Amino acid sequence: MTPIVRFFIRACVTAACFAILPAMPGLAADLQPVSLDAEVQTLKGAVLDLNRELFMLEEELLYPANTQVAVFVSMDVGEFFALDSVQLRLDDKPVANYLYTEREVDALHRGGVQQLFLGNLKAGDHELVAIFTGIGPHGRDYRRGATLAFDKRIGAKYVELQISDKVSKQQPEFRVREWE
Amino acid sequence: MANGAWLAVAWLLTFAGPATAGERGGAIRDLHYGEVLFHFYQQDEFTALTHLLAARQAGRVTRHAVDAELLLGGLYLSYGQTDQATAIFDRLLAESADPAVHDRAWHFIGKARYQRGLFAEADAAFERVGTQLTAALRDEHEMLRAQSLMAQGRFDDAAARLETVRSDGGWLAYVRFNLGVALVRLARDAEGTAQLDRVGRLRSDDAELLALRDKANLALGFAYLHAQDGERAREVLERIRLNGPHANKALLGVGWADVLQADYRQALTPWLALSNRDPLDSAVQESLLAIPYAFGRIGADGSAAEHYVGAMVSFDRELAGLDAAVVRARTGRIVPALLADDDRTIGRWHWQLDHLPESDDARYLYRLVADHTFQDGLRSYRDLVALREHLTDWRDKLAVFENMVDTRSLAHAERLPRIERRFGGIDPAELRSRRDDFALTLDMIEAERNVVGLADKTEAEQWSRLAALESSPAWQAPQAAAARDRQRVLKGVLWWRLDADYRYRLWQARRNLAELDRGLAATAELSASARLARADRPVELETEQMRIAALQPRIEAMQARIDAVLQRQETHLQAMIADELEAQKRRLASYRIQARFALATIYDRTAVAAAGAAADGEGATP
Repeated sequence: MTPIVRFFIRACVTAACFAILPAMPGLAADLQPVSLDAEVQTLKGAVLDLNRELFMLEEELLYPANTQVAVFVSMDVGEFFALDSVQLRLDDKPVANYLYTEREVDALHRGGVQQLFLGNLKAGDHELVAIFTGIGPHGRDYRRGATLAFDKRIGAKYVELQISDKVSKQQPEFRVREWE
Repeated sequence: MANGAWLAVAWLLTFAGPATAGERGGAIRDLHYGEVLFHFYQQDEFTALTHLLAARQAGRVTRHAVDAELLLGGLYLSYGQTDQATAIFDRLLAESADPAVHDRAWHFIGKARYQRGLFAEADAAFERVGTQLTAALRDEHEMLRAQSLMAQGRFDDAAARLETVRSDGGWLAYVRFNLGVALVRLARDAEGTAQLDRVGRLRSDDAELLALRDKANLALGFAYLHAQDGERAREVLERIRLNGPHANKALLGVGWADVLQADYRQALTPWLALSNRDPLDSAVQESLLAIPYAFGRIGADGSAAEHYVGAMVSFDRELAGLDAAVVRARTGRIVPALLADDDRTIGRWHWQLDHLPESDDARYLYRLVADHTFQDGLRSYRDLVALREHLTDWRDKLAVFENMVDTRSLAHAERLPRIERRFGGIDPAELRSRRDDFALTLDMIEAERNVVGLADKTEAEQWSRLAALESSPAWQAPQAAAARDRQRVLKGVLWWRLDADYRYRLWQARRNLAELDRGLAATAELSASARLARADRPVELETEQMRIAALQPRIEAMQARIDAVLQRQETHLQAMIADELEAQKRRLASYRIQARFALATIYDRTAVAAAGAAADGEGATP
């Protein structure tokens, strides 16, 4: 091998090959000034605490516990229904109309619960109507409703809209459940 | 130098962890825990962490207490808050007897130590993990163990461990790749190339794994080049996709593989194709020198000289461009430009810069953005910018909250007299007493079977009128006999009707009493709540005003701290960019010298040949 070939091979091995060799995780971080990195982490922790306080203050101010009502959406299996949207009416007034992204539906499938609506209601009798739209069995458009008449008392009220599978009928099932 | 492969592993490490702590394992027993998972599964960890902390403080995740703690620890770990995470896992180990909880806690403690670079200590924690990890967490566990062993230089142990792993997760290929290149670096070529070859042959439709496969083949190809095995180098380099991110280096390598086999003409094919690509790519730049070298080797000195001159022109142009970019880097214009297209979504702390913006400067930074140290720094910078903007949003909201609370205070002061008037007229004790009288009367009616006692208003009047006739002075007179008979019949009819309905009327009366009880209870509750509201509301409003007043300066102080750190972080990144640009300049300058030297050599050779030819000509002339 001529000297120039050696030079080029060495150069290209250095530039192209070893450039892709990974450093061991944890060791490469030494290049970052430790104090600066530590300071960033400390700041992030402090902002997190502050953010939690602000979040709680916001909820307490806007949705006091006595009048608070929250509606959640959950999914159990959900093989017979691909969720597109949910419309929510409270006492015949539309309060939420939500279109789901693929990522959100995936989060629901994995056991996540979405807070669809958070608002305030006076104590007394109320009616909630949820309309689910999506693709049902055999790839057909599917639209179903679920209703709940409930008595709102002093204190927060939580309602869960649950989408599940009714295996015996090979159909989705939509249930509304009150939580204390 | 670190690279994208490590980043990919790092992402798997940091993301897979907490997910498994909260993955669906049955019905959700606390809606707010499920709500946290909803954000977490969308990789919005900042929101997940904030909501989990708030739900925990409000006592809304008590039915998922252990899961919530594991999730919180994992989220803290991902967020870089190692101390808080470790404290949570230590507490879980002390408080829970569940082996599954212990396994998860030890795993996360090991992960926290690993992230701090305490690899031997991480191993000790990993050793304590039993058999109760979930499948997803088991994958992460095996990956961390292998990475940790490699970090300690225990490559044989790492390789042995990988052989025992059964997983279809993409992480295995990443770890195997890391192990392969580490072994090659240690000159353990046979073992290293064996690992790389397995990655280089993997089948997948996944874009990231395909890129990793290319990268493995590239590393393998250059390892063979280094060992001067051109034939095998060419074979593996040809596995690399021509439209992938590693195509340029592959083309360069294929040319050198041909050179090793002394096939200079063949080497020109990939190199000439490469020379038409982005002139800033280091492989393309090297091809500009390799092409004339190959021409020279096949005796085409004219073409060689022409390409050397072309290469120098190209290098000069890029050097001028780099000079200008260095100036822009030092004046702080490049870092913000890198994030110009960023959506600034807060909380995605596995973020990395995937696509460089379209700009002249960005062209120089491809190598740098593949460096995880730079990506870490840029991520921190981006996090700080996002946090600052997030706090600005809160500051604006706080101003609105302040107005809102002030307005509520005013409204309360205005409404208070009306409320006092309304509730002042209600005496719950008096209502209760009236209810008790009613209940007592009903009991007596039932005890005596007093059917008349349950008569309605009309019937009671009729009964009274009929009864009143009997007290008339003329009632006993003989002339009143017909009237007496008639009264007796009417009274009998009325009594008979009341008696027939007695059970129904009694049931109805009891039902009315029950309704009255419910109404009284609701009134009492409302009255108590209104009384409390009247008493507590001013205190609540004042507390809210104080909370807002206390938070405002904290936000401002935090923003000032963020600004200071942001400035330092930006300076740090600027220095990294400038260093990278300077390194590129040095490389180009070196190439330029090589080109000039080679060109001079060709000129010398040509001149010598011409002189020789001339001398031969002169010698031949009679």
